[in-house]
Amino acid sequence: MAVGLVFLATLPFHANPYLLFVGNLAMLYIVLTVGLNLLIGYTGMLAFQNAALFGVGAYGCAVLRVTLGLPYWLSLPAGGLIAMIVGVLVALPALRLTGLYLALATVAFAQFTLWVFLHWYSVTGGPAGIQMHPVDFGVLASTAEYGLYYLTMAIMLAVVALTWNLVRSRIGRAFVAIRESEVAAEALAIDLTRYKTIAYAISALYAGVAGGLFAAMLGIVVPESYDLFQVIAQFAMVVVGGIGSVWGAVIGAVGLIWVQEALRAFKEFQEIAFGGMILLTVLFLRGGAMSLIKRHIKGWDEPLRRIPRKR
Amino acid sequence: MMRMGIRTLKSAALALAVAFAAPQAMAQEVIGVTDDEILIGALGVLTGPLFRNGKTIYDGVETVYNEVNAAGGIHGRKLRYVREDDVCKPDQAVPAVKKLIYDHKVFLIHGGGCSNASLAAKPEIEKAGVPWVITASTAPQLTDPVNPMIFTTMLAGWMETAGQLQRVIDLGAKKIAIVAQHDAWGESRYTPLLDAFKAKGMEPVADEELSPEATDATPVALQLQAAGADAIITVLFPKAAAALLRDMYKIGYKPIVVGGSAIGDIKGLNDAIGIDGALAKFQSLFPTKSPLDPSEDVQKWKAAVAKYYPDDEFMVWHMFGIASGQFMVKALEDAGRDLTREKIAKVLATTSVPDPDTYAGPIACTPEDHQCYKSMAWFALKDGEQVQVGETHLSQ
Repeated sequence: MAVGLVFLATLPFHANPYLLFVGNLAMLYIVLTVGLNLLIGYTGMLAFQNAALFGVGAYGCAVLRVTLGLPYWLSLPAGGLIAMIVGVLVALPALRLTGLYLALATVAFAQFTLWVFLHWYSVTGGPAGIQMHPVDFGVLASTAEYGLYYLTMAIMLAVVALTWNLVRSRIGRAFVAIRESEVAAEALAIDLTRYKTIAYAISALYAGVAGGLFAAMLGIVVPESYDLFQVIAQFAMVVVGGIGSVWGAVIGAVGLIWVQEALRAFKEFQEIAFGGMILLTVLFLRGGAMSLIKRHIKGWDEPLRRIPRKR
Repeated sequence: MMRMGIRTLKSAALALAVAFAAPQAMAQEVIGVTDDEILIGALGVLTGPLFRNGKTIYDGVETVYNEVNAAGGIHGRKLRYVREDDVCKPDQAVPAVKKLIYDHKVFLIHGGGCSNASLAAKPEIEKAGVPWVITASTAPQLTDPVNPMIFTTMLAGWMETAGQLQRVIDLGAKKIAIVAQHDAWGESRYTPLLDAFKAKGMEPVADEELSPEATDATPVALQLQAAGADAIITVLFPKAAAALLRDMYKIGYKPIVVGGSAIGDIKGLNDAIGIDGALAKFQSLFPTKSPLDPSEDVQKWKAAVAKYYPDDEFMVWHMFGIASGQFMVKALEDAGRDLTREKIAKVLATTSVPDPDTYAGPIACTPEDHQCYKSMAWFALKDGEQVQVGETHLSQ
């Protein structure tokens, strides 16, 4: 892990702007997929609103920064908070739904959000979206790209650490209990409404913050970035990496971004290869990449409780 | 002393040689240009549902480059064209353009088909100071305000809808209605169309919506008939347009209908409708001549595309690329052998191709205006064939 961290921290010094962007994108998707995995993998809710909330965070950040003139330092967390509030509002009716009904309701929400992005001209700019000028990091970074890279890295590390601890806490165990059986969880005095809302809120906050980072990376926020393909891409990252595993989400995000960029050279075969990889994972590697790691690396485990240190 | 003198002389000679060689070496260090090659990057959609719109444009550009290379190249250099996929999305356009600039290290970029993807790529291209000739993106803010390195050989989006409105007025229409699809593509044309109405002090008598996937447009057709529209401007993809035209014909309502560039294949539209006569008063615009144009100018390129891309069916998208390719070749020829990015940008700013083989009008840039193309041709179906029935040249 230390080698990986050193590699990430020094990437701006040995990578060209293209590779730096890809590295930044991978870290951003880690934030997204860790949050989505919390909802799908740990709490067992088949919900598809993450891409829409990713967009809400991006638009929230862009509107606050461009229209209202707030600095990025304020508009980024504010965008995340807006996404969290919207996420909780979505959670309220969705709490009564499970399985396919929940999936359908959240897909409908995602489509509705896309419609709002496209048609609410006065706020979202319609199909042309909102253009953002580069973020000025002042003395903290020599260029916007470097500043954004290290900001994304700091947020990604905080999100992974926070989630790693969360899933091993009482809250994380409540999530897993809900996933395994809502009836049994209730019998154990777990408040379903409360814990499901917490899962939705955290997942939405992560998606919203990732949206604000994405907006700054691209310099433009437009509806098509948050469409059905975005839903599928995030879902695929969770599945390929490993459902119900923080490290699975990390591996899924990095792996799929890497494959996507590596396959650029193959042009029209890119889609076939990408689809084929997801199909093979679903057919032959149900637990995703994490199942391989668990099988071949002895002692690898992601316990749901803190293991006391040996004296 | 003598030995020292010889050594000093040798060092001085070496220093002189290095000094003289340095400008030569620097001259050779123009990114993307070697003694025998110019590397040009293409940014466009190569995969996904819109891949044909991108691939065929770049096949058209590369056909021109291949023909130039076969004739010996430009000032002793061959043109090599490397393509990167933007999937028609901003989030894919940014890594694609960074790969072109920093990984492939191209001399200039010749491409760009989707407006939002191009808008996302623009800041990186500006920052890197790479000349960019846009082949198909229609967002006006790509070239307005003028950037010294960015040019377009495609109509701006607003020009198309302004041209549609002008066309129905020229055809004598008084009560004009709109039928539009309100997705990203449709919205980007619908708003400028309303602006064009306002600019002429007019209002549409009806403003209806159809989904791009619509198969039944009877209610819309009835509404238009009730509004008494004598002409309809469509902002629709072919599938929805076919439904509308078929259902209007079925209820006996036969106004003038003017479509946009999405309906480049009127014969295909007729096949989709399946009723003879439904397109009797239909016209649609395109920036190019017809792919079926029997003239030598078009037919020689049709043959060239068939030679290099035998699986391609020659279409208007190729013709965008061919006209834009001719423009680029002209600029590279005029720039001479000593190339720099700044020099080619200066040359592009005054390059003019008065009669491109596949376009309906001239491509001409000026230092003050990098929207270098402003013409469109009108097509209709006559005796089962798609024929050109007019041209519109916008002055601004």
